[in-house]
Amino acid sequence: MQFLVFVGKVAIAMVLALGLVDFGLRVFWPSDLRLDENFSAPLLTRIIARDDLQKRIVFLGDSALWGYGLDAQDAVPSLLAAQGFPVENLSYEGGSIANTYAMLRILLAHGVRPRMVVFNVNIKEFSPGDSAYRTLYPAVEQLAWPLLAPAERQRLDHKAKTTLDARLDRRIGGIWMLYGMRSDIRERIFGAADAATAVDDRIHVLSGEAQRAARAHIPTGDRFLGTYDLTPLDGENVEVFFLRRLCELVKTAHLHAVAILTPTNHVLLHEYIDTPDYDAQLAYVTKMMDAAGLTVLDDDRRFGTEDFLDNDHLTARGNALWAAQLARALTQ
Amino acid sequence: MIDDEYSRVPSALAPRVALRHDPVVAMLGAALANPFVLGLVIALLAVLMIVFGPSTDSRFIYTDF
Repeated sequence: MQFLVFVGKVAIAMVLALGLVDFGLRVFWPSDLRLDENFSAPLLTRIIARDDLQKRIVFLGDSALWGYGLDAQDAVPSLLAAQGFPVENLSYEGGSIANTYAMLRILLAHGVRPRMVVFNVNIKEFSPGDSAYRTLYPAVEQLAWPLLAPAERQRLDHKAKTTLDARLDRRIGGIWMLYGMRSDIRERIFGAADAATAVDDRIHVLSGEAQRAARAHIPTGDRFLGTYDLTPLDGENVEVFFLRRLCELVKTAHLHAVAILTPTNHVLLHEYIDTPDYDAQLAYVTKMMDAAGLTVLDDDRRFGTEDFLDNDHLTARGNALWAAQLARALTQ
Repeated sequence: MIDDEYSRVPSALAPRVALRHDPVVAMLGAALANPFVLGLVIALLAVLMIVFGPSTDSRFIYTDF
C-alpha cells in the first residue's frame, strides 16, 4: 500500500511537470513567418485556432510561395508582411492544388474564413510523376482526411499508417503537445530534423563537403526531363479534379481568392515547355479559374532566368520583384 | 592492518562500499526517495528523450533538383 502511494505521488509530480511544459509551449511558442519543413498536425491546429487568421490574407501555395532555398524573411509572403500586409504563410514544400484544397477545407472546418486566399498553380504538379500529384502532406492529410468526400479520397494515396501503434501515436500527439510537436521543437532548436542530423550537417559544412555539393548543384535543363507532362488536361487528371473542387469551394464559401500562375524559368526549360501544349495547359486552368470568379495573375513568363534558382523557385531578388508586383495586385 | 570497513570486504566490492559513503550519492539517494523529486526527474528525462531523440516521423519526400 505504501508503495502504491509512493508511485501515485511520483505519477502526480510527473504529470504536473509535463503539464507545465505543455502550458509553456502553448503560451510561449513564437509565431513564425512560415511553416517548418516538417510541421506537425498539432502545430497546424494551433495556428488555425488563432483569432486573427480571419482578418489575414492566407497564402496556401507550394514551395515557390514557401520560399524554397531562401531564409524565411526573403519569401514573398514575408516581404509583403514587412510592407504592412496582414499575411499568413501556410504554404509548404510539397504543396499542390490537392494540398491547397485540403488546407482550405481544414480552415473552413475550423470556422476560419480568411480575408483573402492566395495560392499558386504550378503546371509541373499536373504531371502524374510529380511527388505531390496525389499525395497530401502528412500533417494536412491527418487533419483533412475525415473532411474529404469518398470521391476525393479515392483520387489520393492515403499515406497515414493504420497500425495500432501509429493510431496510438497520433492520439497521444493530439493530447500531449510536447510529443505531438516534437518535429517542430527539434527543427526550432537544431535547425534540422533532429540532433543527429544537425551534427551531421555541421560536419558536412566544416569538412567543406556541403560547399562542394552546393557548387555541384547546378540545375541544368536535362535534370527536368519528364518533370512536365504536356498531355492535354482533362477531368481525369487529379490536379484538375482538385482545382475544380477548389474553385467550387471558393465560390460556395464566398471567399476572395487570387490564383497565381507560378513563375517558370522558360530559358532553362525551353526545350520542354515552350510549346503550344504547355500554353494550352495554362489556358485550360486559367479558363477554369476565370469561370469560377477567381482573380488570376499570370506570372508564368514574368521573370528572367537570372531571377531563378532552378525551374520554378526565385532568388531573393526574384522574390522581392514578385512581392512588389503582388503588392500592387493585392492593393487593387 | 587497519581495521575498518574497507579491510573487511572483498576487494571487488570495495568501490560499491565507497560509493555508499560518498556524500553526493547519499544526497542524491535521499532526494530520489522523495516521490515528487523522482516524478520531476522522470518528467525531465522524458522531455530530454523527446527533444534529443531521433526523428522517426514519415517525412514528405520533396523532389529537389
